Amino acid sequence: MNVLEVTDLTKKFGGLYANTNINMSIKKNSITAVIGPNGAGKTTFFNMITAVYKPTSGDILLNGKSLVGLKPHQVTKFGIARTFQNIRLFHDLTVLDNVLVGMHHHLKSNWVGALFQMPRTRHAEDNAKKEAYQLLEYVGLADLLNESAGNLSYGAQRRLEIARAIAAKPKVLLLDEPAAGMNPKETKKLTDLIHDMRSKLDITIVLIEHDMKLVMEISDYIYVLDHGEEIASGKPDDIRNNPRVIEAYLGKGAVANG
Amino acid sequence: MLAHIIQTLPQVIVDGLTLGVVYAVVAIGYTMVYGILELINFAHGEIFMSGAFIGTTVLLILSSVGFLSSVPAILAFIIIIVIASLATGFLGMGIERVAYRPLRSAPKLITLITAIGVSFLLQDIVRFIAELKTGNYIVSAPSLFNDKIHLKTSAILPQFGDALFKSSFLVVLIVAIIMLVALDFFVNRTKWGMAMRAVAQDRETASLMSINVNKVISVTFFVGSALGGATGVLFMIQYGTIDPYIGFILGIKAFTAAVLGGIGNIRGAMVGGLLIGFLEMFAAANLSTLTHGAFGAEYKDIFAFAILIAVLIFKPEGLFGKAVVEKV
Amino acid sequence: MRKLVDLFSQNKKAQLLLFIVYVAVTSLSLILAQQSVVAFLLLLFSILLLYFLKLNTKAKWIIGLLIVAVLIPFSASQGQAYESYMDVATLVGIYCAMALGLNIVVGFAGLLDLGFIAFFAVGAYTYGIFASAQASKFLHFGHFPLSGESFWIFILIGGIVAAIFGILLGIPVLRVKGDYLAIVTLGFGEIIRIIFNNLDHPINITNGSMGIASIAPPKIFGIVIANASQFYYVALAILLVVIYIVTRLEHSKIGRAWKAIRDNEIAGQAMGIPLVKTKLTAFAIGASFSGMMGVVFAAKQTYVDATSFTLLESTTVLVMVLLGGMGSVPGVILGAAVVTILNLQVLTEVSNWLNQLNTNGVISVPDALSPAKMQRFIFGLLLILFALYRPKGLIPAKNQKYDANKLKKSTTKSMYVEPQVSNDKKASGGSEI
Ligand SMILES: Nc1ncnc2c1ncn2[C@@H]1O[C@H](COP(=O)(O)OP(=O)(O)O)[C@@H](O)[C@H]1O
Ligand SMILES: [Mg+2]
Repeated sequence: MNVLEVTDLTKKFGGLYANTNINMSIKKNSITAVIGPNGAGKTTFFNMITAVYKPTSGDILLNGKSLVGLKPHQVTKFGIARTFQNIRLFHDLTVLDNVLVGMHHHLKSNWVGALFQMPRTRHAEDNAKKEAYQLLEYVGLADLLNESAGNLSYGAQRRLEIARAIAAKPKVLLLDEPAAGMNPKETKKLTDLIHDMRSKLDITIVLIEHDMKLVMEISDYIYVLDHGEEIASGKPDDIRNNPRVIEAYLGKGAVANG
Repeated sequence: MLAHIIQTLPQVIVDGLTLGVVYAVVAIGYTMVYGILELINFAHGEIFMSGAFIGTTVLLILSSVGFLSSVPAILAFIIIIVIASLATGFLGMGIERVAYRPLRSAPKLITLITAIGVSFLLQDIVRFIAELKTGNYIVSAPSLFNDKIHLKTSAILPQFGDALFKSSFLVVLIVAIIMLVALDFFVNRTKWGMAMRAVAQDRETASLMSINVNKVISVTFFVGSALGGATGVLFMIQYGTIDPYIGFILGIKAFTAAVLGGIGNIRGAMVGGLLIGFLEMFAAANLSTLTHGAFGAEYKDIFAFAILIAVLIFKPEGLFGKAVVEKV
Repeated sequence: MRKLVDLFSQNKKAQLLLFIVYVAVTSLSLILAQQSVVAFLLLLFSILLLYFLKLNTKAKWIIGLLIVAVLIPFSASQGQAYESYMDVATLVGIYCAMALGLNIVVGFAGLLDLGFIAFFAVGAYTYGIFASAQASKFLHFGHFPLSGESFWIFILIGGIVAAIFGILLGIPVLRVKGDYLAIVTLGFGEIIRIIFNNLDHPINITNGSMGIASIAPPKIFGIVIANASQFYYVALAILLVVIYIVTRLEHSKIGRAWKAIRDNEIAGQAMGIPLVKTKLTAFAIGASFSGMMGVVFAAKQTYVDATSFTLLESTTVLVMVLLGGMGSVPGVILGAAVVTILNLQVLTEVSNWLNQLNTNGVISVPDALSPAKMQRFIFGLLLILFALYRPKGLIPAKNQKYDANKLKKSTTKSMYVEPQVSNDKKASGGSEI
């Protein structure tokens, strides 16, 4: 069954087509990779799904319901959460608070309850904090719960972004270059984490990634973008040997020579 | 009612044009800085005010040494405006260097606060000097161009009243138009202007193309501030009395003009300035008639503000601006 | 020497003892030397010392309340300067509450509001109009002035009216770029002043530039609260409520959302925070605090006119927030106290002193340089210096710390069982790169 269905999605910036008629069907509980050279339009694609950009045309369906025209926070409520290529944490907040913000849409706590310390609100807040802590344990950041997010190392910041995103209890999780800037050891841990999330959290994962080893190892299905167009899609083995993909990555000469 | 509006129209056009060009030139200062730094330079209104005071000082000095009576007024005027705009140009550049540049990577909020601080500081320094020298912070400048000109607009259309203005009006208009044209040429045709637009569009790429970004920003501040200071002199010539607080409301209106024209767009700022000038003078002349005496000219300052809100609601990118999507 | 300081900073008893001695000495000197403003200020200063003591929070609150509610009024009450001391203390309270309101907008939500005083004006006029004969000039029903007992209700009404103004202004502006808010509020502050100054025709609502006089002072249980020493307790009570509200909100869901959008708008939205609504809440709550204090101000002065609501006043409150520390509740209270005292006491005292020197012919300082006139200069300079060199203020904001042990002892079953990937303890710190 497909959770996420994208049809003819197009985004134009002035004269530039950043995405042209993208079609994707993403199966429930699968791991899908979106790859392509820099500037191919991968992040733009994520931005349209999360309503950061308004599509020029096309449709996005989550479990059959269209997301086009919603505000970003509504999309989150519908069940899509994401991380960012250029990390966007709340750098002055603590690590735990970052995760708590991720719970914003489902946390049953309002300002009246907070002012009068109503039991229901306190209960909800206490549970949220415990759950946030478990999440930090899960991604391996529990020791740093009171640290300001801005002070974390690069790899830790990437993991915190993931923790914050799953705190929103999404059906679909979008990861934009999660392994960028990580060393092989960190990448390995990240790979394990992604696998583990899929099996334990009943979540569908779509990721943009340049690390081909990671992509080939982890993905059930791969879409390849180049210059805003979908040039190929298929299982990792199909993609590995697809001449158009090699050409897109290595330039025209590469296919002829190799 | 209509008869009154038509009758006052020639005068409204004359006054609106005067005020409009003043707003237009000041608005350019806001729009240039915003275009390049995305910063509302609150101190720009005070640069304008400083220009007026520096001009007055030079004028007073010239007249005290008897220079004024020995040369034509227009020559004295040119000396004054050149000195004032050079001085304010360097003032603006200095402010950027000292107060804004160290904060370029700081949160926007902090830079805006600094800008407010600079504007307060300038107000009080000018007040202090003026009060020390003249005993009063409200200063009247001797007038240079005082001949009254009677424009027989009633001859064109019998419904029109006549328009009356001082010869300074012509000076203000001509000088302002020269500045607008010169700036347009500078931005669109010169090397520095090109660099400026490049930095405004994409600072990082510009610096990769070996454009010295800091220098370009300095030049932007110099040009914008020099224009603002020169406009201060025009204001002083036209209206005679100045005080350290003239830059505040005028600054808000000029900024409104910049937003109306599309922030970052220089020609837009010109059109916006003229529109706001006309509208304000129209309101001043007709508000009382239009509302049957309920609201008078004292509400004219509200117009610019109402326009600002309306633009933000209906067309936040302004008349000539392009809606840009922030890159995520 | 260093060791000694270290030792002292650890030793609770020694600290407490020294603090008691300090408070005793300053209050005694105030009792004995009633003219001494210095003694009064030093006594106020004890609150700051208390804040830095190594005591638990509850004890600090109790001691602090005793000093503020009993010791200060008592020590100051022994001479003629009593009312003027209490007047200053009352204004400190009012400005603290206002600055805490602005802190929500600027410090928590990161929105620059340069017309904060406009909401104060709205509150002041709301009470002023109905608690004086002014309302009967345009309303032809009801009996005006309302009695001073209505004051307590009007604190709420003033807050609500100001919040409505805030929302009406915020809806168009907060949708677009954040920095436009600065200039729009700047303009709004000016517009409100012009309107209030001219709204004596066509309908006489504000009495124009004449202002509204004979506003009823507050009344409770038949007692009229007329002088500063009584008002002090009103201001104090309101301030305590405000502090309570602000700290509760700060550490709630909405407080986290404010700070989140301040740090990163796009990520905040992506985490499910409705941007406009959240900003609007901050803006409206901030405005309502300002409006409430406007009501108190009008009742205290028994007179309002448009001249009290200039940009200088808005900027003064902004200086309080920046000086104390944006987003820091104790910092903002300190900032408000310092700036108010600087404004009311230090600048006027120094001016008087200079005047005296002038008349005695000791030195000659031109009148233009009189410190009381240099507010813009001083505040402008403070804004620049703090923004450049100490943007976090005197007492920087601190994040709430969580106790990991409490969070661990959870009985709820984890949905994230066996943290398979985080076994490698050393890597969890993530010191790589
Ligand atoms: N907000 C925007 N405005 C204008 N152009 C944009 C914007 N966002 C992305 N683009 C352009 O769209 C193209 C695709 O960018 P992006 O989606 O970030 O690529 P990728 O993530 O695949 O590297 C690029 O040419 C980029 O410059
Ligand atoms: Mg990308």
